[in-house]
Amino acid sequence: MDRLIDGALFENMVKGGAENLYVNRGIVNDLNVFPIPDGDTGDNMFMTIDAGAAAPSDGQADLGSVSARIAHGMLLGARGNSGVILSRIFAGIAAGLHDLEDADITTFGQALQKGSEEAYNAVSVPVEGTILTVFRDAVSYAGKRINNDTTLDGYFADLITELRSSLARTPELLDVLKEAGVVDSGGAGLVYIVEGMKHVIDGGEVTHAGQGAASNAKQINIESFTADSELEFGYCTEFLLRLQRSKTDIEKFDINEFTELVKSMGDSVVSFLDGTIVKVHVHTMHPGEVLNECQKYGEFLTLKIENMMLQHNETVIENRFEIKKEKVRKKFGVVTVASGKGLVETFESLGADAVVDGGQSMNPSSGDFIKAFETVNADTILVFPNNGNVILAAMQAADMYDKADIRVIPTKTVGEGYSALSMLDTEGKTADEVAEEAEEYAQGVVTGFVSRAGRTTEMDGVSIIDGDYIGFSDDVVYSDSPDKCEAASVLCDKLDAGSYDVLLLLAGEGATAEEAQRLYDDISEKYKDVEIIMRDGGQPLHDFILVLE
Amino acid sequence: MLVIFTDTDTDLTPEKAKEFGYHLISMPYSYDGKTIYPYEDFEVFESKKFYDMLRAGTIPTTSAISKEKYIDYFEPFFKNGDDIMYVHLSEAMTMTIENMRAAVKELQEKYPERKFYAVDTKGITIESLSIVYEIGDLYKAGKTAEEIIEWAKEEVDRFSVYFFADDLKFFKRSGRVSGFSAAMGTLIGVRPIIYINREGKMISIGKERGKKNALNRLMKYLEEKGDDVKSHRILIAHSDAEEDANELAARVREKYGDDCRIEIVVANPTAGSHCGPNCLGISFHSVKRD
Repeated sequence: MDRLIDGALFENMVKGGAENLYVNRGIVNDLNVFPIPDGDTGDNMFMTIDAGAAAPSDGQADLGSVSARIAHGMLLGARGNSGVILSRIFAGIAAGLHDLEDADITTFGQALQKGSEEAYNAVSVPVEGTILTVFRDAVSYAGKRINNDTTLDGYFADLITELRSSLARTPELLDVLKEAGVVDSGGAGLVYIVEGMKHVIDGGEVTHAGQGAASNAKQINIESFTADSELEFGYCTEFLLRLQRSKTDIEKFDINEFTELVKSMGDSVVSFLDGTIVKVHVHTMHPGEVLNECQKYGEFLTLKIENMMLQHNETVIENRFEIKKEKVRKKFGVVTVASGKGLVETFESLGADAVVDGGQSMNPSSGDFIKAFETVNADTILVFPNNGNVILAAMQAADMYDKADIRVIPTKTVGEGYSALSMLDTEGKTADEVAEEAEEYAQGVVTGFVSRAGRTTEMDGVSIIDGDYIGFSDDVVYSDSPDKCEAASVLCDKLDAGSYDVLLLLAGEGATAEEAQRLYDDISEKYKDVEIIMRDGGQPLHDFILVLE
Repeated sequence: MLVIFTDTDTDLTPEKAKEFGYHLISMPYSYDGKTIYPYEDFEVFESKKFYDMLRAGTIPTTSAISKEKYIDYFEPFFKNGDDIMYVHLSEAMTMTIENMRAAVKELQEKYPERKFYAVDTKGITIESLSIVYEIGDLYKAGKTAEEIIEWAKEEVDRFSVYFFADDLKFFKRSGRVSGFSAAMGTLIGVRPIIYINREGKMISIGKERGKKNALNRLMKYLEEKGDDVKSHRILIAHSDAEEDANELAARVREKYGDDCRIEIVVANPTAGSHCGPNCLGISFHSVKRD
């Protein structure tokens, strides 16, 4: 038998896996069943594994502790369905490596087996032809080939051989893949991860240390702040400050007073004290001032300052959760997911306590949900994920959170979430009743989308031309037109909009006011009996969202 | 002789008041620093203009009228040797009635011979108007104050109103409806259904998605709770939603025949300041209110 896997090697392997996926994540993103450029499996899986690779060391170097730490980081960082499944694979592996200083190939193989089982447990109805199948096949294949001569390198080569073969078979198991002519994206992501791991076993260098890459995952466009721009949002400033005895009386250091000081220079302040380290997050117009003042208490360990005009979308995520804690504990609270200013405001006005930024274009992680839960002071928190690829992350967050009774209402679209929330009535009802009613309200809703097509293909009998707008609902394409209003209008016809009571039209960031008005006039004329309401949703990706109730 | 009073919160217009012999007490509302007394500061209520102003974002406030103002209304009649009956809006919704009592107490010390009768309609707009009309009928028919009070004891609780609102921000601000769950804010396409109970308080009793369903729900209440509906007026009130009011009236006629006495009124601006535009309600004779 070959060498053992210890904590250090395992950590490097995970980093190597993350690095290789990072390089290839675009390929994984493009393995999209749907012909609009919304694929993000690669990003999601990368951000998930990266959260594990970047989990700060707790000083424990044994394999059991290292794998547990990495798994915990991934559980928190899990985004999207593939990301959640990936995090559960590593949680299962960590369970299999529990208490071990190091592991031989047989033991490691058994841990991978546990990872596969745990991943199947993560989903209520496991679907074959996905990352689940690919990983199970590979672990089983490589496991059977282990003998006294098996090297670690050879074991991983076997894993990769079968990962690839199984991946190639996924279209045979899943019709949607076959129709779209792609293999499963989650499985593909896994191939890149394991290849990256093998690269490390083979002695390859890990250049990517995990941290930092996450912020690179979203391209920052420096052109969004020009010589004529005005600084509106200031700088997102984050740092770790080590208190210094030479500068302050550490025993008497008052974090509340310190927080007030930071607050006087900015907003969205979060700061907490951990031993002698103060972690600070602040949005400020003058980061220099903040640094000068804080340096009076200690020295900086890490420092990050970002112009929020460039990375505004990402900071919104953090923005929403800070110090919103309400003093009176309510019986029911609501956390929902949306992106786009108008949509977020709509959900807030409907009574959402926290709106997690994200959706189709950016799936929030379990950790994002947990952060949101922490801002809501309620016995029961109802969660509306509003996207099929976000539900699992929300459920995982619910499992990990024990300070409130979390009820995930599995809404798959913003339409379903909107409908359930607007009809919600919690007065005098138990959590079970409210959750049940919310699910019922979400069911009578049809949500249609209009987005720009990203490739030329044929789907559901509709010829789709790259660059055209397509109208679809529940993953079925109904219309294609170079004109987005036309695509929406035909979609309405196909969905029999005239038979509904209410049609909510949400104009996305890609639609102009003129286009929205044109569509509104057109459908108002067509469906005189339907109450049509138009809102500026501002959502990315979908030029129009139509909610039919 | 007996003179009868009511207030503008009951939706009674000056012409109708004249028809029955009512004296009208004007209930004020304010916005942009101006306080307006309906039918004192204007002759005709320009409802479209008023509700459009609310749609554009103005939320007027309302205020109780003072003891002195009540004395001004009542004293000439006491002085003249008349007795007064005041059919007023729900005491549970306003501080005004307390001021009214103080005024009456003062006046009765001055005019110990004179009699004062108060009838709490335990409602506002058409809920009150149904009762105001009925009492007007009795008054015109020459019934005595005692007979009217006797009638009111039983009958005030036998008129119900159900209405739906469009935008909760008006109600939320006025804090005059209970039962709205904490999670309810601005509603898009969803209409809360509101009812006024036996205590004269507005209670939210659910919501409906879409106007059509909300309208159906009002009809359902008329059919389920209505009692001896056709021997009484059926009143429909709207806050600048005339089309909806007409549709509801047509539905009622369809169900109860063309000979039922339907009257459509526009909700008065003082009440409208609390319910906002696009509300629709129906008041009818019913089983006893909850």
